[in-house]
Amino acid sequence: MCDASLRRHRLYEEEDIMKGVDGTVLTISSEIRKKTLRDRKRFVFFCILPAFLFLALFMYYPIVETFRLSFMKSSGLGADRYVGLENYRKLFASEEFRQGLLHVFLWAFWSIIIQLPLSFFIAFSLTFYVNRFTKPMRAIFYLANVLPSAITAMLGKFVFSPTNGILNSIGVKAGWKWLAAIDFLGDVHVAFWSVFAVATWAYTGFPIIFLMAKIEQMPKDMKEAAEIDGVTGWKYAWYIVLPNLKFPMRILAVLCTIGSLKLFDLPYMMTTGGPGYATITLGISLYRQGFINWQYGRASAIGVIILVLSLIFTVLEFSGHKEGG
Amino acid sequence: MRKHALVLVLLALLPGFLFAQGTKETVAAPTGPVTLTIWGRDIPDTSSDHIYVHDLIENFQKDNPDIKLEYIALGDPGLADKTKITMATGVDQLPEIIQSWGGSVMGGYADAGRLLDLTEELSAIPGSKAAQDAMSWKGKIYGVAPFFAVAGIFLNEEIFAKYGLQPPTTVTEMEKVCDTLLAKGVQPFACGAKDKWPPLAMYMYLVNRYGGDAFGSAQARKIGFDDATFVKAAKKYQQWVSKGYFGDKPLGDAYGDAQQQMASGRAAMMVTGSWMCAQFSDPTFTDQKLGFYAFPVLDGGVGKLTDVMGQTDIGFIVTKKAEAKKDATVRFLKYAMGVNACSSDPGRICSVPGVPAKNNLTGMASKLFSQSKTVQFWWDQDLPPAVTSPLNDTIQSFFLPGSDVASALTQFEALVADEVGPVKK
Repeated sequence: MCDASLRRHRLYEEEDIMKGVDGTVLTISSEIRKKTLRDRKRFVFFCILPAFLFLALFMYYPIVETFRLSFMKSSGLGADRYVGLENYRKLFASEEFRQGLLHVFLWAFWSIIIQLPLSFFIAFSLTFYVNRFTKPMRAIFYLANVLPSAITAMLGKFVFSPTNGILNSIGVKAGWKWLAAIDFLGDVHVAFWSVFAVATWAYTGFPIIFLMAKIEQMPKDMKEAAEIDGVTGWKYAWYIVLPNLKFPMRILAVLCTIGSLKLFDLPYMMTTGGPGYATITLGISLYRQGFINWQYGRASAIGVIILVLSLIFTVLEFSGHKEGG
Repeated sequence: MRKHALVLVLLALLPGFLFAQGTKETVAAPTGPVTLTIWGRDIPDTSSDHIYVHDLIENFQKDNPDIKLEYIALGDPGLADKTKITMATGVDQLPEIIQSWGGSVMGGYADAGRLLDLTEELSAIPGSKAAQDAMSWKGKIYGVAPFFAVAGIFLNEEIFAKYGLQPPTTVTEMEKVCDTLLAKGVQPFACGAKDKWPPLAMYMYLVNRYGGDAFGSAQARKIGFDDATFVKAAKKYQQWVSKGYFGDKPLGDAYGDAQQQMASGRAAMMVTGSWMCAQFSDPTFTDQKLGFYAFPVLDGGVGKLTDVMGQTDIGFIVTKKAEAKKDATVRFLKYAMGVNACSSDPGRICSVPGVPAKNNLTGMASKLFSQSKTVQFWWDQDLPPAVTSPLNDTIQSFFLPGSDVASALTQFEALVADEVGPVKK
């Protein structure tokens, strides 16, 4: 229907050009053209309307409502009270929130520093060295990404549990007291890294597949030309492949950052944000404020901060990028 | 075009009109049994933890064919989260009955006008006063608590006998017992501090033993939560942690790990609620012989052996949604509080008179409960929700090496002052 409308529109345009010398004909043609344009606009409007209504109801309205609530003292029950910026002031004064903010920044930083290079290393290895051993590895690396977070967290606890975890048992059996003595989930200095290690295993599957797809899309003659010039193996990866993955890497960095800002499931299920606030994130703090402490206003303020930070980092990470590829 | 749009709009609205008409008819002429929806925490299976709820649902419907129960198990924290969200949206989406521990959370719902006042109907049901108080708010009764839990010390009697130890009656004796156990390579206490809420049980007792009803005074804003009593109790707790009474990795163990430490005999004592009686009496869960004792008193302290900490173990509250089905709802609550229904539970302390204890541990816990002179409701069920998770955070911080407990309590008091009100001079 849309195509037919466009075709008709083009015919009228041709009619305009052909009979442009005759004023009467030109007038009729313009009216028809205007009506067609109106119909077309109406058609487009009705096409967009359902999607717009859906977004307005389930996305824009909650965002606006979150902003409104962030200026309110609200328990979710009874009347809300306007408190201005009080929720934000109290958040920045609280240890829980400050630690949560620090942890999501650290998480984003280390994700970019560790997970992205690791993903590139694995993606390049699996595309460059294709044989019957590396083919199944693609599925294996992606498998962790497919597992639900609850299972991933359970496996993480199975590895890091302080009394009967795999690492602890290895330490005991091998007589490595230093390993057996580490409290992977209960030591404030170690817990963050234990959860991060599980996340690295679980979350690198997607970047690996994404980068592999991009590497495989690169023209074959580029590789052949590089080989003629003697650029092979990891030199090829460093000098040819990596510069061509600048934009995909930037997308992954944005995804890592936004994912870190929203982080909730894995640290919550492995440590509930503890010990103390050692693994707390903004997402966990939001949940605690809203659902456990009945502080909807403060939870909304955290939501607003996550949204604003996500926007800032997205703009920052894409700024300066002029061309794709 | 406009005509077409009008026809389309009318066509779209037609099913709505038809549906609305149908709903009206259903409401106007109800037939068949009354349906009561219950949101529960427990899965209604036949395990020792859940058998009471399982039998209650099954038997009530058999004995009351005119009432149909729709029981939806939501687990924990699913029940709390879903209840909170639905309470916030209004009464329409709520079930008639919700499993609840009562206390301040229930109070919040009552204040918001979401609960049905059943004082007249429920006040005459025989049961313990502590359990009834737990399901009351500002003088009105909103539900029933067929089972009530008290905190005490689960103690491995075999380990104590092996090393010639006696159950401690004073804190000094308890410290000596712990030192002996440590020397023998046995972890004195299992706790589960990773989960944040389990360490509260011991702290509540320590505060009581140092300063009596210091919590009540702090709650009434006569003293702060950073008062000397709270600080002394916290320092004692921290001292025990640093001495290794809770093991080498106390913050790595969750509540489930602590249960396993007791079940396997790796730890000798655990301060927790009597809800564990059934499991600790179950030979398929543990081969250890455990006992249940009062928390010791402190030499020169204020608190007594008869000051007990407790909370609802299983309870039900009724929402405003049940207003039209009040009779059926009250029948269910009375049935839940009946001797027959309560007798199916293998290990909880029943708040209904005439239900015998099913095992030695429950008998010991019931004795402690019946001999108690004062029952302090579990702090995190008694304080407003805004400060309960920070309370548990604060107590968990006593387990962090080198933490400044006085400063942590001062921060907590500042929060309480902000949310509840400052200390009245």
